[in-house]
Amino acid sequence: MHQNNIVVDDLTFEYPGGETPVLRDANLTIESGEFTAIVGGNGSGKTTLCKTFNGLIPHFFEGRFEGQVTVAGTDTRESDVAELSTTVGYVFQDFENQLVQETVRDDVEFAPLNHGLEDYAERASNALETVGLKHLEDRFIWELSGGQQHLVALAGVLAMDPEFIFIDEPAAQLDPQNARETYQTLRKLHAEQGKTIIVIEHHSEFIADYCEEIVLVSDGGVAWKHPVEVGLNKLDDLQANDIHPPQVTDIAATLPGDAGTLPDGRYPTTVEEATTAFPSAPEVTAQTAADGGVTATSTNGETALVELHDVAHGYPTLREGYNDVLDNIDLSVHRDERVALVGANGSGKSTLLRLITGLENPDSGTVRVLGDDTSDVLPEELADDTVYIHQNPEEMFVEDTVRSDVGYYLSNRNADNVTERVDEILEYLDLEHLADRDGRLLSLGQQRRASLGIGLATDPSVVLLDEPTGSLDLQSRREVTEMLNKAESRVETVVIASHDLKLVAAWADRVIVLRDGAVIADAPPRRIFSDTELLAESGLRQPQVTELSTQLGFESISLTADDMVERLGASTAAGSPVGDDTQ
Amino acid sequence: MSYLDRFDISIADIKVDLMRTAYANDRALLNTFDPRVVLVWTVLFMIVPWLFYDPLPLAILLAAAFALAAVSQVSKYLLGLLLFGQITNIGFFFIAVPLIGGVIQGLGHVGDNIGRVAVAVGQGDLSVLTEVIGILSTALGLVVTTVMTERGAGISAVGAIVPFFLKLTIISVISLAVFSAMSPQKLSKGMLRLGVPRQLTFAIAYGYRMMPLLVEEYHALVNSFRLRSEVPDNRGFLNWRYGYYLLKLSAKAFYPLIFNVAKRSRVTVEAMETKGFSRSLGDEESRALRTGGMMVRMRDVSFVFASLIFVVAISAFF
Repeated sequence: MHQNNIVVDDLTFEYPGGETPVLRDANLTIESGEFTAIVGGNGSGKTTLCKTFNGLIPHFFEGRFEGQVTVAGTDTRESDVAELSTTVGYVFQDFENQLVQETVRDDVEFAPLNHGLEDYAERASNALETVGLKHLEDRFIWELSGGQQHLVALAGVLAMDPEFIFIDEPAAQLDPQNARETYQTLRKLHAEQGKTIIVIEHHSEFIADYCEEIVLVSDGGVAWKHPVEVGLNKLDDLQANDIHPPQVTDIAATLPGDAGTLPDGRYPTTVEEATTAFPSAPEVTAQTAADGGVTATSTNGETALVELHDVAHGYPTLREGYNDVLDNIDLSVHRDERVALVGANGSGKSTLLRLITGLENPDSGTVRVLGDDTSDVLPEELADDTVYIHQNPEEMFVEDTVRSDVGYYLSNRNADNVTERVDEILEYLDLEHLADRDGRLLSLGQQRRASLGIGLATDPSVVLLDEPTGSLDLQSRREVTEMLNKAESRVETVVIASHDLKLVAAWADRVIVLRDGAVIADAPPRRIFSDTELLAESGLRQPQVTELSTQLGFESISLTADDMVERLGASTAAGSPVGDDTQ
Repeated sequence: MSYLDRFDISIADIKVDLMRTAYANDRALLNTFDPRVVLVWTVLFMIVPWLFYDPLPLAILLAAAFALAAVSQVSKYLLGLLLFGQITNIGFFFIAVPLIGGVIQGLGHVGDNIGRVAVAVGQGDLSVLTEVIGILSTALGLVVTTVMTERGAGISAVGAIVPFFLKLTIISVISLAVFSAMSPQKLSKGMLRLGVPRQLTFAIAYGYRMMPLLVEEYHALVNSFRLRSEVPDNRGFLNWRYGYYLLKLSAKAFYPLIFNVAKRSRVTVEAMETKGFSRSLGDEESRALRTGGMMVRMRDVSFVFASLIFVVAISAFF
């Protein structure tokens, strides 16, 4: 056995006061130099497992600890957290709370200074250079974007030059662009500095693109460890643990016979592999009006529910003077539209939603909601018909149970039958078993659902959702999509702001692309997603299935895996071009 | 609702202005000195105002303090709030002293005549009513005339209280200037070197780190409350009901804020452990590295002496 490995030997751990062990007889070896993904459903114990590597367990969380964990030959029980952290660096899932000093450089220097290392400044400079943040070293942490903060947390870990680097869900709180950049940095660290990288990850697309090994944690134990292409092919195991395989793998598995397999008999895991495995260009007929002729500005002769006219809005900032977030926005939203606002971070999506709530009034121009000018009406009054669901659901919980949070609006307005209406919403969104718990202590997926319940209780006509799938695992994401469909039957229109292009592709019928505070495109999803140039310049990326259909030379792109399967299946079954694919 | 419009914009402005006070100290004069010198200087100037009794030298000191605040980029809103507080305090004395004097006179008159009222009531006389009204109106007249004629008393009361308020204001302005001019790093470095325990200096630095985050979160929570509450139908005189309603929400929003902070700190504590914080607490090397690079130079010493000479000059000439 190599001296520099992390070895987990028959580990059982139970939190104090816990009823059952979180980890049971877990065995795992992580060799020096790996790039490994750890996957597992919510509550499978993967985070707990990772916290044994730097000694947080058992030194910080004391509990029943049996078995042994050795890091580079040292038994973790005989060392301490600070010492182990010089070998095993850890970037937390909510990295924001990991940053404890006020400026970037101070935070990166914090650990080396604590260890009394004289070359602390040099270490910090190197670490910042590696993650590409040298130019921001004097900035305050709170001035940075989420993606930049994540890199600061990573730099803080790198400053101690650890052999192993753990990152807990790098993609969860970042938009796809930033997540990809983080992975690029990790790849560089792995290739150039020979670091061992271990990520806890839900998004199998990232795993397929970047990792070498995959570990499945299930029920407190390590089920298996395989090379990525083998691991991601164990579809039954993944499915049983609520982990979605990459879209292309899913499609390949659904295709009849071995139509989707690679020459060596397994399913492809990346788009590149898929292009070689799948039959190419199944269609020759031209696809016209694939969207059923719906145009983005169809009005149906009705007045718009939401209307923005020549709107500009911005904020004063500390260093850069006045920041114009939105500029010259002309937009109207009509009944029964499923509108998705997309764009990179800082492109103005959230600001646009907040303007519609009336919490802020535009610097110039007018915003009308159901005919009311938001500058003339209080946000409380607009909230009679409009509901805004915060991207951070925690900010929506103001009471100590979900039930009273859902009822808060109704009882405040002295509505009739508050109890019945609250019960009905709770049942509708399947929240009954959570009704008496504190919303802030639920898992993120549950919090999202509860926050939608809070919104729907107001019986709104317009629902505004900010990042409804942000930091959700895949199981919860599916729930959100269902939830959106459910919400739709009760309201007149739903507008979401989202980075999650898979969700947008599958759900929306109108996509508005924002860049630098201006609308640069407003069209049905099929048109938006086939325009790779547009996506790239607005910091977005095609979902795997769309990318694949472009690569395969489809005349009109696929937006969902089901659609792709249908079309590929048809072409392989009949051996002839597919006809019309409007759905 | 244009007044709200203005109100909303000024919230963003106030936020940025406060941020500037706390965080933008690149150009602040005090930030260029050695932090230890500044801390000692501050303590010194907390005492200096108490050595003066006359309004004139105090006023000069106050002017100097304001000049310092100006070069330290103190928030104009904070200074305005401070001034407003002090001026209304003084104004209060100006009105309250004659008023209380008048009320005492009036009550005295009623007291002197209480016997007559009692006798009149005892006799059940019809003239009781007129008698009582007569006494009360004389009393009221006394209140009014005292208030009107004894404004001098108000002025002299204010005169007596002004030096005290001046001293308090000088100290407040100086400490505002110092703490907004010094960068948190420098502040904690200086304190650490002066022997303040590291837990405390860390807490200060951490507070600076978290403050903007909490401000944002608090704002979001207040907004959450607003979107789900009902505005009072009757806004009341000068919208006071609406103001009261907002005030109530602002107070309510603190509870969820505290809860969320507690949640955050769980991760922070773990992260601090991995960054070797507890290890560094008793570590001499770490402390030496942290406080290294500080130097008391000629300009630091001249700053202290120049300000002391200024004070001596004031006491000599005024």
